[in-house]
Amino acid sequence: MGRTVTHTGHAPPPPRAAARAEPPPGPGRGGAPPSAELRRNSRRENLAGYLFMSPWIAGFLLLTAGPMAASLYFAFTDYNLFDAPQWVGLRNFSDMFADPRWQKSVEVTVKYVVIGTPLKLAAALGVALLLAQSRRGQAFYRAAFYAPSLIGASVSVAVVWRALFTDDAVVDRTQQLFGMDAGGWVGDPDMILYALVALTVWQFGAPMVIFLAGLKQVPRELYEAAEMDGAGPWRRFWNITLPMISPVLFFNVLLETIHSFQIFGSAYILGGQGNPCGPADATLVYTCYLYQQGFENSRMGFASAMAWMLLIAVGLVTAVLFWSQKRWVHYEENAR
Amino acid sequence: MRTTRHVERRTFLKAAGASLATAGLTAAGCGGGSGSSGGPVTIRYAWWGADDRAKKINESIALFEKKHPKIKVKTDFQPYLDFWKKFNTQAAGGNAPDVIQNAVTFLRKYAARNVLLDLNPQVEAGNLSTDNFRAGLEKFAEIDGGLLGLPVGSNSMGYIIDEKVYEKAGVTPEFGWTWDDWYAGLERIKSRTGVAGDSGPHSIMYYYDLKLRQQGKAFFTEDGLGFQESDLEAEWTEAMKRIRSGVYTDAKKAEQIKPKAATAGGLSAGEFTWDNFTVRYAAEGKSSYGIAPIPTTDGKKTGQYLGSLMLSGTARTKHPEEVATFINFMVHDPEVGRIMGYDRGVLSTTEQFEAFEPTDKVSRQISAYETKIAETGVLEPITPHPAGADVVEAAFLRLATEMSLDKASPGEAVDKFFTEAKTAFTANA
Amino acid sequence: MTLTSDPTSSSRRGHAGSLGWHLGALAVLAVVLYPVIWVLGGSFKPGNEIVGSLDLLPTDPIVANYTRLTEGIAGIPISTFFINSTVLAVGSVGGVVISCSLAAYAFTRIRFAGRNLLFTLMIGTLLLPYHVLMIPQYVLFQKLELINTMVPLLLGKYLAVDAFFVFLMVQFMRALPRELDEAARLDGCGHFRIYWSIVLPLCRPALITSAIFTFINAWNDFMGPLLYLNEPEKYTVSLGLKMFVDQDAVADYGGMIAMSLVALLPVLAFFLAFQRYLIDGMATSGLKG
Repeated sequence: MGRTVTHTGHAPPPPRAAARAEPPPGPGRGGAPPSAELRRNSRRENLAGYLFMSPWIAGFLLLTAGPMAASLYFAFTDYNLFDAPQWVGLRNFSDMFADPRWQKSVEVTVKYVVIGTPLKLAAALGVALLLAQSRRGQAFYRAAFYAPSLIGASVSVAVVWRALFTDDAVVDRTQQLFGMDAGGWVGDPDMILYALVALTVWQFGAPMVIFLAGLKQVPRELYEAAEMDGAGPWRRFWNITLPMISPVLFFNVLLETIHSFQIFGSAYILGGQGNPCGPADATLVYTCYLYQQGFENSRMGFASAMAWMLLIAVGLVTAVLFWSQKRWVHYEENAR
Repeated sequence: MRTTRHVERRTFLKAAGASLATAGLTAAGCGGGSGSSGGPVTIRYAWWGADDRAKKINESIALFEKKHPKIKVKTDFQPYLDFWKKFNTQAAGGNAPDVIQNAVTFLRKYAARNVLLDLNPQVEAGNLSTDNFRAGLEKFAEIDGGLLGLPVGSNSMGYIIDEKVYEKAGVTPEFGWTWDDWYAGLERIKSRTGVAGDSGPHSIMYYYDLKLRQQGKAFFTEDGLGFQESDLEAEWTEAMKRIRSGVYTDAKKAEQIKPKAATAGGLSAGEFTWDNFTVRYAAEGKSSYGIAPIPTTDGKKTGQYLGSLMLSGTARTKHPEEVATFINFMVHDPEVGRIMGYDRGVLSTTEQFEAFEPTDKVSRQISAYETKIAETGVLEPITPHPAGADVVEAAFLRLATEMSLDKASPGEAVDKFFTEAKTAFTANA
Repeated sequence: MTLTSDPTSSSRRGHAGSLGWHLGALAVLAVVLYPVIWVLGGSFKPGNEIVGSLDLLPTDPIVANYTRLTEGIAGIPISTFFINSTVLAVGSVGGVVISCSLAAYAFTRIRFAGRNLLFTLMIGTLLLPYHVLMIPQYVLFQKLELINTMVPLLLGKYLAVDAFFVFLMVQFMRALPRELDEAARLDGCGHFRIYWSIVLPLCRPALITSAIFTFINAWNDFMGPLLYLNEPEKYTVSLGLKMFVDQDAVADYGGMIAMSLVALLPVLAFFLAFQRYLIDGMATSGLKG
């Protein structure tokens, strides 16, 4: 299905045809072994497959499957962590849908994901493209751009972020230069979510490094050939860079989306003392509410129901993304 | 070839497994022997606090281990919220520390789950003494006939004021001043100095508790709230007026400077808080701070009681005797009193209280304040905090803030509060 | 941004282009690094001036926040926290690189029965928030008597539990040309040879990326060490950082910020040491060879 870009450098993609949305079928089916041979080898393949997979399978069975099954069961019970869970059927779910704070948390989270994720990915890709070039001082630039992400979600980040976004601090002053009089963001329930988004975007280091690694895998010959064909930088970006890094782009889009839905640490520390989910629930992200209900309010059944609701929602988004990758993600492996 | 490799792998795995298991055992302190037959016993003691408290506790424990060579104490500590996060997980997993630092908001929650150890049998066995506690503090953690903890220190609600601003405005708080006197003072401060008189007390559960207690009610009953929607709506409606007039601090400004307190940040002339928190104001703020008396309804009654940090044992401990010996030492030993000082409130037993002579200004202020309220006879017994009180307190703060930020009307905020409180009491009962 | 999207053409541009590139990069960097510089400046301010401070740099710089660190925290030298964190981080890197690349190889290069199901399950493990798994996992390690050891923190790393890295490597391996390993296969190489001699070297950028992330995640991990370690002597840096501030005490923001910066150094060093492998671009040279 996907287009196979040959690595030999003799066949640059046709400048027009390799448009992003509908790639032409690959030039050949590579050196795939005939299927009869495959069948003969299938037992060996199965054995090898499960051998290679054995650490993962052990980890899944031992550490993940049990707890996941337990949480699924808890979702249908009243469970306070101490007394035996009581089966309540779908009550946690009906309580959840009727709960105004749950609705608020959905609203806040969707807003956060929809605004924050594209901005973060754009920043990461932009800087990665900038840094992918061989320039002097590259190591310095990479480390410098990555530094914000190294800091993580520690209390010092909360301290600095609150300090930047108070009245008359640097962000407010910059706003004033542009004639805006919004004041500081952190005490303002209408603005603090954007301070949180800014914090997320600021820590764009992880997707940036992944983009960089992806860019490094693009064979240079492709660019050389395209340049000889007279393709300008814009066209080279759309026709070579983007398709070639599309697996990595897909990874970043998917994982950043999933992670954004699950954001907890930054929101929790930015909210401040007393109201960790922000003033007036302004940064009440989904996991923050889940955490409060499960651990502070001892409603583990309710929290588990929330978790499985999130799993379903994010699972749907993930499924859509996987489905969409047929249209825009290009893999080398399809020659089978 | 193939078989040998297989065997090697298996022996390796076995060895690795065995070494992991032993490492786990010894490190978890599970090897400490069952029962108290001979060898040293290790108990785990967890508390919340920071570096400062850690040093004092380590010193006290060194002293304890010297006097009780057969008991070893391993400590673990985190900041407040992380502490409860961890304790909750440990207790749910059946692996709680033997002794914990405990607070009244969590007392009934864990009592209801049978997590806490009843110390009465140990008192009867003579391992633990309930004598010499000040102001009836030994009864602080008595629930349904069980003794679920003993206080290490006491503290009381107080009114922290910025002394310089009060002086400039010419306002002098006095014992027995009424809410009207207090509010007139706030208005005067606002008009004379431009500083808001108070940070806005309406979000503080303990403030509202005092006010209710002055009227013969209380914030909590045994299993619910001790007031009506209309009470709170009146309180919060009035608070909104005061925010609008600038007598209470603009909530947005107060939010911004968190974690600093509004009074320490110069945004208000005073606020209600626990007297032992005074120490933070002196360190965080630039002015000088004092503790003023709580305003009253009738000129006498403040509604105050002594709150406390306490030490509790946990029910599943294998060493209840050693736990009792340790708690006994920590609450009664005069030397421990000298080491700990007022770190966790004014020392709760007379032995320790007399052993410690505060030298710094803040400790002396706190000591003088608690002595004064004890002398004036305003102290009354604490009313119960039902299981779920911690969640209700958080909801109270959050919803009052939501209203102060103009995100909910007083009526809406009160409705939400009552709904959430009901859920919390049901979930934690 | 798009004008500079092409890694090859840069060398052919003149000095003007180079200068423009540096100016552009520095401008973006100034914005990105402003908060970092604020933290750096903050570490030289007295503790009570840090919270809410509007100034980028201290008016009267002091080094007390750093000298204070030599006293240790709660009687424990801070080097203890650093050693514990290093053991955890390095141990994690080894586990993730090996176990996740094995799984990723199987997903991309071996056609075994049930592959799609396992892949779906793996992606599924990404979707459930950690908090609801926390207690059941704790109970499990409790039953295995592994609390207060590093095992609960490391075991998952060796068992490829972090689907993020498996999937990351899958995406990179899928982008690798298959001609090489198919040729090797026709030469009679088994899967392990292909994995070890062909796929792993070609995937070096992905492995390095995973190593860097694993190191940082393990270094910054707070919840795991909080729950599983019960003695301050076993604590990692992320827990040590929390020992400066508590509601009952005068918060030592100066010490905390200074330590958070010192804690950054090993991570930065790890990043600097490994990031040059990202630059080398093994993929292309591997293909040429």
